[in-house]
Amino acid sequence: MQNDDEAQKAVDRRSFLKSAAVGTAAFAAGTSLLSWARPAKAAGSLANVQSDAARAAKELAGGRVVTLRILEPSGSLGNIKPVADRWTADTGIKVEYIEVPLGEINQKVLLEAVSKAGSFDIALPASFGIPDLAESGILVDLDQLASKYEPEGYQDSIIYKTANYYKGNFYGYETDGDAYVMFYRKDWISDPEEQKRYADRYGITLKVPDTWEELDQQLAFFHRPESGRYGGALFRSQYFIAWEWWVRFHAKGFFPFTDDLAPQINNDAGVKALEELAAASKYLYPGARSNGLFENFEAYGKGDSYANIGWGGTQKYLNGDKSGVKGKLTYGPTPGGKVNGTLVRTPYFNWGWNYVVSSLSKEQEIAYLFTLYAVSPTLSTIAVRDPGGYFDPFRDEHYKDPEIIKLYSKEFLDVHEASMRGSIPDLYLKGQGEYFDVLRVNVQAADVGQKAPKQALDDTAREWDRISRRIGRKGQTVQWRFLKGLYPQAARSHLV
Amino acid sequence: MERRDTVQLGTQCGPLQRIARLPFSIVLVLPAQLIMLLVVVVPTLIVVWLSLTDWQPTDNIPWFKAEFSWFWNFYDLLSDERFVGAVLRTLFVVALCVSTELVLAVALALLFLDEWPWRKVAVSVIILPMMVVPVDAANAFFMLFNDHGPINQLLSLVLDRPFEYAWLADPHWALLPIIFAEVWQWTPLMFLLVLTAFLNVPRNQWRAALGLGATPAQAFFRVVLPLSLPVMLVAVLIRAIETFKIFDVIYILTRGGPGATTESISMYMYNGAFVYFRMGYVAAAALLVLFVVVSVCLALFKPLQKHYE
Amino acid sequence: MSDRNSARAPRLPKVLHRVAVVAAMVIAFFPVFWLLSTSFKPYEEWASSPPHWLPKKPTLQNYRIVFAPESARRFAATQAGSLDYKVSGSAWAAFGTSAVVATAATLLSVVAGTLAAYSISRFRIGGGSFAFQFLSVRMFPPIAVVVPMVVLFSMLRLTDTHLGLILAYTAFTLPFSIWMIRSFIEEIPVDLEGVAQVHGMSQVEAFLKVTLPLIRGGVLATALFVFILNWSEFLFALTLTSGHVVTVTLQVANYVSASSGKLYGVQAAMGTISTIPVIVFGFLIQSLVRGLTFGAVKE
Repeated sequence: MQNDDEAQKAVDRRSFLKSAAVGTAAFAAGTSLLSWARPAKAAGSLANVQSDAARAAKELAGGRVVTLRILEPSGSLGNIKPVADRWTADTGIKVEYIEVPLGEINQKVLLEAVSKAGSFDIALPASFGIPDLAESGILVDLDQLASKYEPEGYQDSIIYKTANYYKGNFYGYETDGDAYVMFYRKDWISDPEEQKRYADRYGITLKVPDTWEELDQQLAFFHRPESGRYGGALFRSQYFIAWEWWVRFHAKGFFPFTDDLAPQINNDAGVKALEELAAASKYLYPGARSNGLFENFEAYGKGDSYANIGWGGTQKYLNGDKSGVKGKLTYGPTPGGKVNGTLVRTPYFNWGWNYVVSSLSKEQEIAYLFTLYAVSPTLSTIAVRDPGGYFDPFRDEHYKDPEIIKLYSKEFLDVHEASMRGSIPDLYLKGQGEYFDVLRVNVQAADVGQKAPKQALDDTAREWDRISRRIGRKGQTVQWRFLKGLYPQAARSHLV
Repeated sequence: MERRDTVQLGTQCGPLQRIARLPFSIVLVLPAQLIMLLVVVVPTLIVVWLSLTDWQPTDNIPWFKAEFSWFWNFYDLLSDERFVGAVLRTLFVVALCVSTELVLAVALALLFLDEWPWRKVAVSVIILPMMVVPVDAANAFFMLFNDHGPINQLLSLVLDRPFEYAWLADPHWALLPIIFAEVWQWTPLMFLLVLTAFLNVPRNQWRAALGLGATPAQAFFRVVLPLSLPVMLVAVLIRAIETFKIFDVIYILTRGGPGATTESISMYMYNGAFVYFRMGYVAAAALLVLFVVVSVCLALFKPLQKHYE
Repeated sequence: MSDRNSARAPRLPKVLHRVAVVAAMVIAFFPVFWLLSTSFKPYEEWASSPPHWLPKKPTLQNYRIVFAPESARRFAATQAGSLDYKVSGSAWAAFGTSAVVATAATLLSVVAGTLAAYSISRFRIGGGSFAFQFLSVRMFPPIAVVVPMVVLFSMLRLTDTHLGLILAYTAFTLPFSIWMIRSFIEEIPVDLEGVAQVHGMSQVEAFLKVTLPLIRGGVLATALFVFILNWSEFLFALTLTSGHVVTVTLQVANYVSASSGKLYGVQAAMGTISTIPVIVFGFLIQSLVRGLTFGAVKE
């Protein structure tokens, strides 16, 4: 029985990695399509990129006292400071930090477009906000500077770069690997008693779930509040709830829009996904509806829930000293769904941070050089190594670094890497914030029982139409069709 | 009264000379007027303009070049359930908070009419809430209404079973901590005003009532209360206006969530402008609210003004 | 204070009365007590279950983080398992900013307000409704003018500057200043100034040397009241700044971290200290206006 399970797991993992590899190829094709518009690369080798960048910046600064101001989300200082300190040592240019709560940084950057205060040179907005920020004019189009300074092959090892580009222009380097990943209690799954009980009740083996239906079943199975155990931690609070629905919906085989930008989110699959999400809420720990990111880490770290969903940052905590579940976890990609008999997986890159340069900055070239420096293979590895922040592996090199492997554990990194390579892009359209805000409010309303799921999604679809109309349907449709092409081939071939 | 409001200030050159020729009375109000002009009047004019457009920063055009959209914003607002909800919710909160504050204030004032040894200390402690920075008070209430906070702990003791309710995450009950915090903070102000009113009732009237055979309770309800009514009404009006603008408490406790279930008008406009960046739309909402508030207050103020002049 | 007739209140048994008063005092004090108590709690006790009413292991670490981050970092390094919080600045800047902005705005408000109040009171400028014009500004929900103010300030380069905040605060406290000072001026008979002028003073002198000293207490009380409003202000500080100008009300919200979320203890420490000026000034006002009724009612 055990060997079969192992073999089965191996087969599943292999097939997943295989589709992920295909996905990578498609990705590379997709992004090279994106880069066709950029002029030829400058001379200068990848191996010396940080010294070259530092030297260029020092020259530009001349003898002046230059300070770069970075607008960063609170909690990321641990990942930026080691890099910035080296930068100051290499160039003499000081770095100042302006900290903003992490849920608000995109709004702060957008507010700059209105208030024109010029209070920062570099910012780290969440990747899904790049389209809106680019449209508002606050981001510098970095194509020119990149063609001047970026060496050949610099972006090759960055696994997920979709958010770096919008409408063919380059706006900043992705500096975080935020693919959604699942966490499970290895000791509970491999417990022979639990396995027997599960097999008896459901007739299938207890293993890392492939589909959302399987996961929901396992959540119900492990939910034993009388003995202080919960099915899952997960998220049901407003900022996070729509992301789970997004994956559940895609796993049923649909894109959020048709080719004519008509919303499909309120079709039967969407409603079913929302119903299943709301049904699963019963098997979550009591804080799921009110807790944010760090509370989720702590709660799951206590060890009384079976499953969790999260990012590399989650693992940084769970594999650390404060956590009670270190060494007890196994990992999996976000579950997929059976579409026409085939298992379709849709891992989701749903956060991320990009280094961008403010169009109000008086030192745009130096600012760009800093981002080039910070995201270079060597220095980005140093950044990701720091446990005091939430930058996760995003370059091939990171997965081979011994310190990073120790920090995250090899098992986790395997799943993380595969999810990164095969992930579907976020809704990189103008108005992303509006689309998702409406979705969040309505999904949460359905989850707490205020609205029926069909009603919630119908309201969302109606609002989405209104938003599309206000933004301009024609341009938006073109942009959506382009975005559809960026979905990895493995997923795209099964979605409708 | 004789108008003696022109004054010779010597013969300096330039603008000073021109200002010197203005009536003195105007010169005096000039600084105040200029500040108000800059910070209040001009922005209001901008609001009027913005409310007729659909300006959003993501359009990357300066606000004065925004596309004109006539009265569509107002039309959309009136059928926007989130906006209407925010207005109704705010009126509900105002009514509940102010009436609770008034009742508590009267009850407290009754306790403080007499003298006793540590009365001064008691007054100092009772008025402490209104001297805490509202943001810090809100943070304190955030901690108090935590799942594992003391309020839940006390409730568990009373109900004799574990009670770990997430007040601030519940769409039906999240308003309770907000109202609690607001009433806690501002009842002392009402208390002071009401107490002062009670204590300023002329003693002769009170004595006369007692002399004519009334019980203290009757004398209170028939003499003290009616004579204090004007002050109490002013206090109610002041508190109603201030509560209408409620923002700090809601921002700290719930940000208007979960969903939009604790959004007041101010929170709705803040979210609309600084989270969703629909500035033209929010300007229209602001105009609607301003119009309603100013007309209501003028309607109420005219008779009050006559009463005072 | 008018002497009290002990038969004023409907009579209540003494014990019940004292209990009711004490209950009110407890409710009034409890949240403040919780803030104080949390400010001395170590990290593990902030949101413990069950909650600790008094810290079991009181610590000064929260106050260190607020005022001496270097010392806090050193302390955290010596204590295994204590809060490791990388902070990018101490709260001194916030206190400095709040002090500067609140004081300047108060001065501006009181001076401009006194001038305007004098003009309204003595010259009846704008008829009797001038005062209500100013008061109607108090009725504006400030959020209604924040959006255009952000736009206007951006054009005038006033965003995220001390001057911008000062102007905004002044405009919104002017109605109070004018209203309150006007009522104090009204209590001084005009004839006093008339007499002074007969004795050779100009009108300006008469106001400055005769009337002003008489209403000194009231003006001071107004200034303290306006200062409290400015110090506690949150909305303008939130929306008219973008990270460079930080007041104490904003600084509290900065105490969140990647690994621990909301830092309750540190926020409580910051809150406790930033509330102290308000409490002090509040009691000062109380002693100043003993006998006055904020001009709302006349005997």
